[in-house]
Amino acid sequence: MATGASPSSRTGLVDSLFRFQSFFGLLAVFLAAIVFSPRNSDGQILFLTSDNLFNITRQVSEIGIIAIGLTFVILIGGIDLSVGSVLGLAAVGSAVLMVENNLGMIPAVLLVLLAGAVFGFLQGAAVALLGVQAFIVTLAGLQIARGLARMWSGGETVQISYGDGPDQAPMAFSLLGERTFGGVVPIPAIIFAIVAVAAILFLRTSAYSRHLYAIGGNEKAARLSGVPVNRVKITAFVIAGLCAALAGIVHAGQLNTGSPNDGIAYELDGIAAVVVGGTSLAGGRGSVVGTIAGALLLGILNNILQLNSVDTDIQLLIKGLVIVAAAALQRLRPTQ
Amino acid sequence: MRKTMKSWIAVGCAAAAFSAAGCGTTSQNTGQVQPQDPTQNCQGPDGRYTIGMSQANLAEPYRVRMDEDIRKAAEKVPQFEEVKFLDAAKDNSQQVSDVESLMTQQVDLLMISPNEAAPLTEVVKKAYNEGIPVVLLDRKVEGDAYTTFVGSDNTEIGRQAGQFFAQQLLPDGGKIVQIKGLSGSTPAAEREAGFKQGIEGSNIEIIDTVDGEWERSVGQQQMDALLKAHPQIDAVYSQNDPMAEGAYLAAEAAGRVQDMEFVGIDGLPIESGGIKAVEQGRLAATFVYPTGGQEAVEAAKKLLVDCEQVPKQQTLPTQLVTQQNAAEVYQRLNQN
Repeated sequence: MATGASPSSRTGLVDSLFRFQSFFGLLAVFLAAIVFSPRNSDGQILFLTSDNLFNITRQVSEIGIIAIGLTFVILIGGIDLSVGSVLGLAAVGSAVLMVENNLGMIPAVLLVLLAGAVFGFLQGAAVALLGVQAFIVTLAGLQIARGLARMWSGGETVQISYGDGPDQAPMAFSLLGERTFGGVVPIPAIIFAIVAVAAILFLRTSAYSRHLYAIGGNEKAARLSGVPVNRVKITAFVIAGLCAALAGIVHAGQLNTGSPNDGIAYELDGIAAVVVGGTSLAGGRGSVVGTIAGALLLGILNNILQLNSVDTDIQLLIKGLVIVAAAALQRLRPTQ
Repeated sequence: MRKTMKSWIAVGCAAAAFSAAGCGTTSQNTGQVQPQDPTQNCQGPDGRYTIGMSQANLAEPYRVRMDEDIRKAAEKVPQFEEVKFLDAAKDNSQQVSDVESLMTQQVDLLMISPNEAAPLTEVVKKAYNEGIPVVLLDRKVEGDAYTTFVGSDNTEIGRQAGQFFAQQLLPDGGKIVQIKGLSGSTPAAEREAGFKQGIEGSNIEIIDTVDGEWERSVGQQQMDALLKAHPQIDAVYSQNDPMAEGAYLAAEAAGRVQDMEFVGIDGLPIESGGIKAVEQGRLAATFVYPTGGQEAVEAAKKLLVDCEQVPKQQTLPTQLVTQQNAAEVYQRLNQN
């Protein structure tokens, strides 16, 4: 009996380690950042200053929001390559609707979110109803959304200036680039946190969550057991489109522009956050919480490399290696 | 289930909207520029200073040279302990993060060549309001939250190029094409406007205009299209040298190079730069567009070491380079 209990305990411990891999990874990178951080003349660790830590939350907010939406699609074994282009389209849309069409902030934001959701719906329908692979559908979506962004903007950056005059956006929109709670907490970070909490609660409290994991685990079995597969798939893509559009709105608010070139390659950063966060690209395993940890891990990594003025090319190399390491660890996970 | 999903999305959107519209902000974030004593960081010749340089895009030879000019000039000032260089790789969001990183590193002075004006305005203003002297190179930000601007007058350079076409290159007139840098960017608009002023009253006709994205390869592709579309092209006005060289390569491949003249702007004194291209006969002329790197370091020295004010604007002159003076200009610009 004694010998029987010991292996069981050990297996449980190992499983816990892998279950919370993204948090241990985040903790490891956080500690490494403290060690490698430059210090000022007073010996203060610059990485740990509150300004810098909140800078990180602002810097990851757009990729974080995109990654949360991507998590839904990847959990069903799909992929969405169009989210970076949808961000660009949403940024342009926000700028054009408020500056050129003189819409109020709320109508403009709602219209842009609707556009993102519709775009996601169309892609989801193509995947679920036409049976086309998600990679192909969203690769086409990447091109289409980018093309629409360029058409809508006329190929040029749409500048956002604020005020009550014609050709100006409402002052309220500029709040997206501001900080609150005493000028410390970036509003994009608050939006990211709200989206994160909403997604976590949604996945924890709804039947939808079980259906999502069931499809990712084994789609045929899910269909046979009565899961409404097509509806769940379409919904996942709608959520991804919505999140990308919201990220685009935040992007426009932070940078005071809507540029048709915004968001290029953001889908790759978003996917990286999802993978580092422990979600399997094969579907069926992972969580939004892991994605958030993954986004923060990559954000901290980027931040500490910048603080040390590491060359851009070397930065890319290091980030790539971290992603490979995270993915490789997933392969070592013992099968349950 | 559908109702559950919709309600979660509604909650998320409502929370995001509330967050954006409802959170209060403090006066620190009102966006006003706070007047600064530009010499407040000065500790005289006994001080030790760190300078941060935020560069827009090191894929452009002009900007690589700018950073090198800064590095060389700073090495001659013993009080300048370090210059931290960061590359935004044409990404506005990245450049915002770069400036935040330099602020975290508590640099004594910020140099920046903004990728675009509007997206960088807020973060530069934040640095300025925190008392960090700001030296802008080549491109400006919106408003006046900076200590000094060092750069050339793009309109004037365009005008001189136009006058060169009208008086020396095509005194009897002719059909020319224009390769712009990037539509929507200020330098491109100014170089075009200046050029048109310069050719006023002549018989020179601009029969077509394309975007070369400031890059040789794009310039080459665009010129290839222009050659197919226009049987007679007497000369090419390119808004920088790399695009002009690309145009030359396209014309060479089409066997039409002997019928045309090629003019660029920048005149970088490097092996692959415009001055060598003129000396070797590929370009008829170029116009020196100084990087301002040395002048920026001189301004930094005045502010930090000499406790002197510097003028708000420092406009750098240009110079026509033809085969007759190319070797001499090249040698002079590389003395140091």
